Amino acid sequence: MNNLLIPVLLIILAPFIGGLVYGFERIVKARMQRRIGPPLLQPFYDFLKLADKRRMIVHSAHAFFGIMHFVSLWFAVGVLLMGGDLILVVFLHLLSSSLMILAGYSTRSIFSHLGANRTAMTLLAYEPVLILIAVSIYLVTGSFDVSSVYKMDQPLLYKLPLAFIALLLILPIKMKKSPFDVAEAHQEVVGGVELEFSGIFFEAVYTAKWLDYVFCYTLVYMFAGSNVLLGIGLMVFTFLYLNALDNSSARVNYRQMLRFSLGVACSLAFINLLIHSIF
Amino acid sequence: MKLASFRKKSPWILHYNAGGCNGCDIEILACLAPKYDIERFGMINTGNPKQSDILLVTGPVTKRSRERLVEIYDQMPEPKVVISCGACASTGGVFRGMYNCEGGIDQFIPVDVYVCGCGTRPEQIIDGVVQALGILEKKTKELEESVRLSKKPVQEGRQLNRRNIADEIKPLVS
Ligand code: SF4
Repeated sequence: MNNLLIPVLLIILAPFIGGLVYGFERIVKARMQRRIGPPLLQPFYDFLKLADKRRMIVHSAHAFFGIMHFVSLWFAVGVLLMGGDLILVVFLHLLSSSLMILAGYSTRSIFSHLGANRTAMTLLAYEPVLILIAVSIYLVTGSFDVSSVYKMDQPLLYKLPLAFIALLLILPIKMKKSPFDVAEAHQEVVGGVELEFSGIFFEAVYTAKWLDYVFCYTLVYMFAGSNVLLGIGLMVFTFLYLNALDNSSARVNYRQMLRFSLGVACSLAFINLLIHSIF
Repeated sequence: MKLASFRKKSPWILHYNAGGCNGCDIEILACLAPKYDIERFGMINTGNPKQSDILLVTGPVTKRSRERLVEIYDQMPEPKVVISCGACASTGGVFRGMYNCEGGIDQFIPVDVYVCGCGTRPEQIIDGVVQALGILEKKTKELEESVRLSKKPVQEGRQLNRRNIADEIKPLVS
């Protein structure tokens, strides 16, 4: 009972936790630039304000895709936190991203189309690495279940250090952080796929972004296994690393991004897999 | 707790240059930079009309940009406020009377706050935005609703008469 209570609570509170992380991240990012930054609860203020705006939709399917993107992402987070099948998690996540791409293609705005194209490119960039990581976890623990990772006596990090580095390399792509933020690129394509959403429907997309934070940091935490202190350390390290990288780098184009992720991150994960299965 | 009180806490800004000299645009960007840092009030420069609350316009409306200006204004969901930033957006400024410019944006869209100065200062822009926030909080959706200003055409015999279909303008009660 008790070990079910914490994941269920975490799942229910996931958007809230993600919002707090996002608010904190905005402060940290501002402090890195020697600014003061917005208050911690700023994402929630944005949320409440957006609820008040007039509702405008392009067409009903577009709004529906946006909401389903949020729902399926929540499912992915739920399965991940309950210790379910990692392959299922990866594919639920893929589903949520593809719903967003569909939403992007379903309007007639060219910015939305460009954003959808680029989001598809980022999918191509990080999805193989996620699957490779899932396969290496299978080879280490003998099961695709996330809960088997927490049952191991040794943290996953010691067994799969290169896979963790590969995860660190693709996280900026996944969370749309610079230098790999071609999909969102606020100055070029004005937010890409989320461009045509407004008011309460943008809220679904905006909160999905918070859920993404929970998703990514849970993936990072997974590498510490049952070691809670190491897990927290890894999450803090990833947080600082992501923000420092976001603040200090300029955007690369999607070809460079693909070359980097498929060339470096994917091969790192693969080498780790090979080393583990040979020795 | 009313939702309207949160409008003040997260105003998202859309910035449009209707053909100015770029002086005011640079000052707007200076507001975002570390010295003035308007992000601490929760303001973001979104660049997306469908998600923003405040329209910051600079520049006299050139004949090319006026349709875009009106279109951008239309795309913003209510409640919204418009700030005209700089002398040339308010009156035409140094461009007044030129063959390619209209003078001032208020000929095309309703303006809530005028910020003066040719090259407005970042402090003035922040003051203007703060004043606009007060207006934004008071605005209600009814006030912004588009009203139909025409009646139905009248069938007269075999003809559809479209003359005299303008509706009288009722005063808006707040
Ligand atoms: S008000 Fe002056 S500085 Fe600002 S855009 Fe117009 S001409 Fe340039």
